[in-house]
Amino acid sequence: MTCPYLEYHDEADGRQFDQPRAYCTAAERFVQPMRADVCNDRYALEHEAHCEIYREHVEVPEP
Amino acid sequence: MSYAEYLVGEPLIVTAALTGGVHGKEANPNLPETPEEIGRAAAAAEEAGAAVVHLHARKPNGERSFSTQRFQAIDDAVRAHANDVVIQHSTGGTGAPTADRHLPLRTDPPPEMASLDMGPLNRYDHLTSENTRGTVDALHDEMRDRGIKPELEVFNDGHLNEVHGLLERRDLADPVYATLIFGGGTLTRPRPRNLLNAVSNLPDGALFNTLGFGRHQLPLTTMGILLGGHVRVGLEDNVYYRQGELATSNAQLVERVVRIAGELEREVATPAQAREILGL
Repeated sequence: MTCPYLEYHDEADGRQFDQPRAYCTAAERFVQPMRADVCNDRYALEHEAHCEIYREHVEVPEP
Repeated sequence: MSYAEYLVGEPLIVTAALTGGVHGKEANPNLPETPEEIGRAAAAAEEAGAAVVHLHARKPNGERSFSTQRFQAIDDAVRAHANDVVIQHSTGGTGAPTADRHLPLRTDPPPEMASLDMGPLNRYDHLTSENTRGTVDALHDEMRDRGIKPELEVFNDGHLNEVHGLLERRDLADPVYATLIFGGGTLTRPRPRNLLNAVSNLPDGALFNTLGFGRHQLPLTTMGILLGGHVRVGLEDNVYYRQGELATSNAQLVERVVRIAGELEREVATPAQAREILGL
């Protein structure tokens, strides 16, 4: 399951892209492509465990 | 490679790392992502003096791709636009499984070079590129079978031990070529003395390439030139030209290091010279 704060936008904050790109609605900014692997839970990554932005936003305590 | 090589005028191989897999146009809109953009950037970098282009593949939305087909499209574009530049594929990065990491090696023809990460690298707070010895050996073996020269990526001094270990496990063709990487996190702390230390701990006869992230690109590559090594620059490693000013292109970063090499009286290698130096 992908991160609930992940959206794909083709424009935001005065920037425009030909292809919609990963956008973090929690941080209100476009996501670095490598971070998008975490947002999309690819390669055994899980946003709930591996994204510090998500964890801070929903106040998940560090283990 | 040593200061002695600098004094005798060993040509300098400039590698341009055009796009990378970490950041994209959200960091610098001039960073190439599509095959066409990468092909044109490779040609401009070659025109500026780069002999090698280090390539990553991207999906249309800018995210990382390991697909053989996507690398093939990039190589086709590079060959369409550039003249004779050496193609080097990345096999590194993220938590991608080893099977995916082999896919960039399977283009037709295969790349002349490919990166081989020598150990783990931390990203963000909870992500590690593992690069176990098993992964390293498996990638190396396919490179050997396909005639691809490995570029040994040394993220820190511990990875120098891994280089020596790889040479004990595998018979690498001479010359061994290692990229010494400096920056934050898992990378070697970017200090001039640490470049000297890393060079002194390389296997005998190894060539080295200097890579500094961000603001360290300029001073550490300059030092690498003086030590008789080779250099890597580009938007993968550094999106700025100077503090607060984004680079306009990969070629702009290549032009600067070529100017510095000229002032230091170091000849810049053509792709043909680079092939000879690297034994491709």
